[in-house]
Amino acid sequence: MALVDQKKIIENEPIYDSAFKVRLTRNLEILSNVLANPTTVIGLIIVILMISMALFAPIITEPNTPDPYQMPRDWKAARSAPFTPGHILGTTNRGGDVFYGVVWGARTSLKLSLLVVSLTLVVGVIIGSIAGIAGGKIDEVLMRIVDVFLSIPELIFALAIAAILGPSFTNIILALVVVFWVKYARIMRAQVIRIKQREYVDAAKIMGASNLQIYLKDILPNSFSPVMVQATLDMGNIVLVGATLSFIGLSEAGIAEWGVLVSEGQAGISAGRWWASTFPGLMVFLWALAFNLVGDGLRDVFDPRTETKR
Amino acid sequence: MDQDGTSNSNSFSNRLIASVEDLKVYFHSKKGLLHSVDGVSFDIVDGEIMGLVGETGCGKSVTARSFMQLVQTPPGVIAGGKIRFKSKKTGNQIVDLLSLTENQIRELRGERIAMIFQDPGKALNPGLTIRAQIAEVFQEHRENDVFEKAKLSHVLKGFIGVVLKKYMRQETNLFIRLLLFFPPIRSYKKKLDKAIDKLVTEALAETQIPNPEKVMERYPHELSGGMKQRVMIAQAIACNPDLLIADEPTTALDVIVQARILDLIKELQKRHKTSVLYISHDLSLVRKICDRVAVMFAGKIVETGNSDDIFKNPKHPYTKGLIRASFMTHERGKLEEIDGINAT
Repeated sequence: MALVDQKKIIENEPIYDSAFKVRLTRNLEILSNVLANPTTVIGLIIVILMISMALFAPIITEPNTPDPYQMPRDWKAARSAPFTPGHILGTTNRGGDVFYGVVWGARTSLKLSLLVVSLTLVVGVIIGSIAGIAGGKIDEVLMRIVDVFLSIPELIFALAIAAILGPSFTNIILALVVVFWVKYARIMRAQVIRIKQREYVDAAKIMGASNLQIYLKDILPNSFSPVMVQATLDMGNIVLVGATLSFIGLSEAGIAEWGVLVSEGQAGISAGRWWASTFPGLMVFLWALAFNLVGDGLRDVFDPRTETKR
Repeated sequence: MDQDGTSNSNSFSNRLIASVEDLKVYFHSKKGLLHSVDGVSFDIVDGEIMGLVGETGCGKSVTARSFMQLVQTPPGVIAGGKIRFKSKKTGNQIVDLLSLTENQIRELRGERIAMIFQDPGKALNPGLTIRAQIAEVFQEHRENDVFEKAKLSHVLKGFIGVVLKKYMRQETNLFIRLLLFFPPIRSYKKKLDKAIDKLVTEALAETQIPNPEKVMERYPHELSGGMKQRVMIAQAIACNPDLLIADEPTTALDVIVQARILDLIKELQKRHKTSVLYISHDLSLVRKICDRVAVMFAGKIVETGNSDDIFKNPKHPYTKGLIRASFMTHERGKLEEIDGINAT
């Protein structure tokens, strides 16, 4: 009697849901964990606003120059204050519309950070994985190279490279890639070394999986989350460093970029024309802040060690 | 011994499935060379459960890992010996597992020799569903079976066959993924997926997991320890191997689950006539499940024999002490000491 009942219970066990439901609840759980932190939510809102501003830039302010990334010049209305008709945020002393620069600067920044982050991610993950998997001398050589790169402060290093390559936006991207890949290589190497000692890697080997399969299925997916967190944080930092380089004048002149705009408005600050530098400066600040908030929030969720803090 | 690692020495009797001869595995450490396994020899008779018992650190696991060439070198050194293994699938050819190349051993792993690990929680990839993890075995070793099951043997030749094979081996790139999206390859792919699903369900059902279709979609962290161990066993026996190495498979489980897993291993062993190398430090378990037992101490085998004989009249002082120690857990007394073997 009792045995029959037990069998019935096992068969009708209600803990099993459909695969779709399982996956959905799992993802919702992660999302609710991320959204449980109010600062992350604030960061996320700013990030979404910034990205939509970048995406809809041509709708928000229609470009009237052949190259939309170039600031339109309205020489007649130069040095006008905010809230003048046609120039909501005023103009620089060279007649550039600050509002246009702020909006299209978001587009430039998004382009810059996405390009640099994806390139550094690929380079860093590949080099870190090689070092972690090969070990021994290859690891030693690669990590010493990484050490050399890490020993120079990133801003100064990027500045030097961009200065050598000459002033242009592409060269800023190149300089930032050269500077930022090392962190990813370091993180990835540490992760790969940690994961490759796990028993499930041995288990996969025992099943007869090839080394490439083990790397792609067992090592890479399980070691990726810290790299993703770093990438989110860098989305902010890269714009900060990029704006600094443009400010110094290593970008193309007249481009709609926050750093360029700040430097263009710099001359007017002492004469009381604060607007041309303040608004783009504020944008850089908000952008870096927002991505750092989101990155911190993601780290809290993905890193189990910080879980008890909240 | 030939160049290709095969040998037909007379000492390898027909009854055996594997035989370890004078295996020596050393490890480089800061204090010098550690003789982890120092001249171990034992045979595994075809179709029996062979127990390997000994205390922690005596070299049991290293011996087991040598079967699969899983000892990391460096710091490990295979200093000598042979592990001969009779591969039933390839016409009872006898190979020396230690002298096989990486590719040769890869063909045996999972297919002819399988292994169950100590901690099922660590031995399953946390990022993949149970289905994906068991499917891997079939995709790797049972390609033709899957095609047959999906009734797709006729398309194996030609271009579509190449694409589907790539899909099975998961060597997909963007182009192949694009091709897989279009009919008729799309429908073939669905058939293949269904066939794999069926094979995975069968493998899981064999380990008496309730509701295998649902468990399949779960991730390891959503299952209990006993369930995970059953999944491990399902993975190991999926290809019906000749030799199953169980490295303390029940240590991480509680007593009741332990008993069930043991019954399961024994039942599967009988049904598939698999030989099992059962490694444990728990004598009562070994006595319950094994036909023969080898007792290991400080990298050496000190005693081998039928498990009843060994437990009734142990000959070596270490075995005596071990048996005494395991049956006096509730009466506190002095543990018996023996003179150690100088391991340098």
